[in-house]
Amino acid sequence: MFQLAPNHQDDIVRTAKIRFTFDGESFLAHEGETLAAALMRAKLLHIRDAPGDESPRGVFCCMGLCQECVVQVDGKTIESCRLSVSPDLHVTSLRRQLDT
Amino acid sequence: MITDTDIAVIGAGPAGCNAALLAAEYDFSVVMLDEQVSPGGQVWRAKSPAILSAPETPESVAGESVRNAISQSNVTHLGGVRVWHIERSEDAFVIHYENAGVSISLSCRCLVIATGARETIQPIPGWTLPGVVGMAGATSIFKQDLIPIGSKMVVSGTGPLVFFVAAEQQRLGGEVAAIVTSNTLLDWIKALPAMLLRPGLLFRGLRWITAMYVNRIPIYWGHTVTRVEGESSVSRVEFKKISKDWTPQGQPRFIECDCVSLGSGLISAFESFQLAGISLEHNSDLGGWIPKQEQDGRTNVGGCFICGDGAGIRGSLAAETHGKLAGLSAVAFLGAKINHSIVKLRREYTRAASFGEAMSKLSIPRPGLTKLTTAKTVVCRCEGITRAEIEDEMNLGAQSTISVKSGVRAGMGPCGGKFCQTAITDLIAKTKSCPVSQIAPPTARPPLRPISVNTLAGDFDYSDLPISKPSPL
Amino acid sequence: MGCASALQMAEGGMKSIVLDQGDLGQGASGVNAGTLSLQIKRVKLMPYAIRGHQEWESMGDAVGFRKTGGYTLAFTDHEAELLHERMSLKAEAGAPIEFVSNSALREAEPNLADQVVAASYCAEDGYANSSLTGQFYRARLKQQGVQYREGFKLLGVEAGNDGYVIRSANTTVSARKLLFSAGAWLKSLTALMGVELPVQARVNTVSVTERLPMLTRSVIGHATGLLTMKQKANGTLLIGGGWQGRGTPEQGRGQVDTDSLRSNLALARHALPAAENARILRSWTGFEAHVPDFYPLAGKLPGYEDVFVLGCVRGGYTIGPYIGKLMGDYILERTTELPLFNPGRSFPEVVV
Repeated sequence: MFQLAPNHQDDIVRTAKIRFTFDGESFLAHEGETLAAALMRAKLLHIRDAPGDESPRGVFCCMGLCQECVVQVDGKTIESCRLSVSPDLHVTSLRRQLDT
Repeated sequence: MITDTDIAVIGAGPAGCNAALLAAEYDFSVVMLDEQVSPGGQVWRAKSPAILSAPETPESVAGESVRNAISQSNVTHLGGVRVWHIERSEDAFVIHYENAGVSISLSCRCLVIATGARETIQPIPGWTLPGVVGMAGATSIFKQDLIPIGSKMVVSGTGPLVFFVAAEQQRLGGEVAAIVTSNTLLDWIKALPAMLLRPGLLFRGLRWITAMYVNRIPIYWGHTVTRVEGESSVSRVEFKKISKDWTPQGQPRFIECDCVSLGSGLISAFESFQLAGISLEHNSDLGGWIPKQEQDGRTNVGGCFICGDGAGIRGSLAAETHGKLAGLSAVAFLGAKINHSIVKLRREYTRAASFGEAMSKLSIPRPGLTKLTTAKTVVCRCEGITRAEIEDEMNLGAQSTISVKSGVRAGMGPCGGKFCQTAITDLIAKTKSCPVSQIAPPTARPPLRPISVNTLAGDFDYSDLPISKPSPL
Repeated sequence: MGCASALQMAEGGMKSIVLDQGDLGQGASGVNAGTLSLQIKRVKLMPYAIRGHQEWESMGDAVGFRKTGGYTLAFTDHEAELLHERMSLKAEAGAPIEFVSNSALREAEPNLADQVVAASYCAEDGYANSSLTGQFYRARLKQQGVQYREGFKLLGVEAGNDGYVIRSANTTVSARKLLFSAGAWLKSLTALMGVELPVQARVNTVSVTERLPMLTRSVIGHATGLLTMKQKANGTLLIGGGWQGRGTPEQGRGQVDTDSLRSNLALARHALPAAENARILRSWTGFEAHVPDFYPLAGKLPGYEDVFVLGCVRGGYTIGPYIGKLMGDYILERTTELPLFNPGRSFPEVVV
């Protein structure tokens, strides 16, 4: 049947879910998806605080340019929109005050 | 100089892929470098490895087709690498790129730059809140990760992209609270003749809009979101009607939502062109500052060719043929006898470009939109610099993008001015009462993306350092 | 330097106008690493450098001045010898430089490399924010009522009725006296007056990282002078040391040379290993002019009584505001506090 605006949500097959941690808290993500997407699914939008005014920031340009979604993994700074979630991924945020 | 490859192509979108494929047909060695793991660029961005199967879309089909073509060709595709510097010498270019934390150089006789576009977003109060994403950015998440953004999205912006973002959000199971678009229905009717050049796309667009009406999703034509509200993420937006020149006016109204997608057109990602030594010129119809260019992607730098949206915003269809033409220019430069019909390609390009330029015209912000940026609005997101701070600096005498950057650090943060320079240029032009075309962007400086000290320094033993004799006492 | 001279002339009652091809303070003075270190100044220029430090200190916050103290490090025995020899001479010339023990260094700067063999310290050292040079002088000129024109591309200079007529594409300026203080662009300007000066330009590389947690509080240098490094109050780490890029002033801005950049950053990482994961946001080059004897040009242009030249000051950022003042005094026909450097002197043959 012709659908004007199909909903494909249920027709997408994804890899199995794995665990990763973000500031010590455990989350589920499909292996191989971007950290940006995994955090969006977890409704965790506040990824970082800006230096200076310390205002909350999150994924913005989604293509590795704006540097708003950067996190740290093993001491290295990386954009969450360019980082694939893999098993044993432990992410440290650049938030000043961690949400309690 | 003996080079690593004959031709290097930077960017694997529609332009870069087509340039590389055509050049490879002439038996030259071609290396194509791209920031994404798989070819496709922003418009044909590949699905993440987390997606095992998914329904096709026109973008995924076109993307798969070009990815297959690249993998079956002799083009060497370097995916997931980031070019950070371009050095030029008499008869060659050296490209420096990062691959998995290591900096590698690649020399080439001929360089094709197809770095595409990035979006421009007029700064508004609250645009730094988590939950605000660019419109092109949203499509990138949709294409790569196939998830909706937030649970209830407001899409606000210019041009055709608003409808694509809204349609994709719904297709992937998200909700759209409203579409707020600066364009009026009349703007679209005026663009009809150009759209009839691409009836397929016209039909697709009409289907999206009809679906919105059927699903009772409000479309506010001739409106714009003027403010985003929320504590640590988006809770609602304020929007207003806009005048003919897009000045917001009238009573504010509000829409509850948890995410907002904003966009006011695309601009050339021109920094690579600057590093390669190509001068820029201003063309407001093609997105502002673009590289100076001649026919078929030739430039004032011998051996360096450009194509796609980076050369001026004309859309992906034009980018494909522009890429082919630039690829042919490159092989001709290297001495090949051309056996493709350039005349036919040029005709195809002109046709595609006129459609793309009509779409650009709908997307290019009109002057009134700059009034969205209030005095207290953060303009430079990285450094948290407001419009008032930038204006104070201009009142102290700063008259150029370089002096504003030096004085208040606007554009000195990690993004390198990619998301504030357009707004800053507008502010300077307004203060000086001169056209934007007289306010040149700052000098581009490497690295093109932030790169770590370890990557740039590499494996260096202290005894290997070329320590020269000390300076005179 | 030109701005400092103009301000001094204004103080002495002489009217002047400052002309710049680009924006004020965007030549070498706006793009260098901002290091104010007596440890990297030439022995003979030490009195000028000490007074230069005082000038910067008086400008204070408006130029981002910080007196942090500075360490110069030696990583090998050879470098330690070099450090002792050079710093002793500089200390004799009046710089308050002392040698410090490894434990004192470690206490003050725990993140520095373990491999330090010897180190010297100067409490007078620090930095200013070179990006603010233009903003500072623009405000000072306005305040003193000195006119300035930015974006003034000089096309020619002709003799006028009473002095000179300076021509750009769309305007002319008349003046009785001229001062050329255009840094690396001096050579082409004085050539317009028929004088060939043996000015050469070094193309110095500078890089800056994103904001980092505080790793170091002092200005850090290397015995050979090939490293300057300081972390600004905002957390960014600025790395220089005179590693050479490519290009000439006549071609516009220089280009970053990746081999130089690699060595510069490797040396920085060697000194401060904790910076290894810091991301570099920008690298750039600035032209530093010099003549074969590496002493300033400061005085009358040979063959002219009313044309002056000021530049090629080794350590020009530090000394600039002071020697600019001296130049202003000289043009005002006052006695200068310290002697200037005759541009008409004979130079040694240039050895390439």
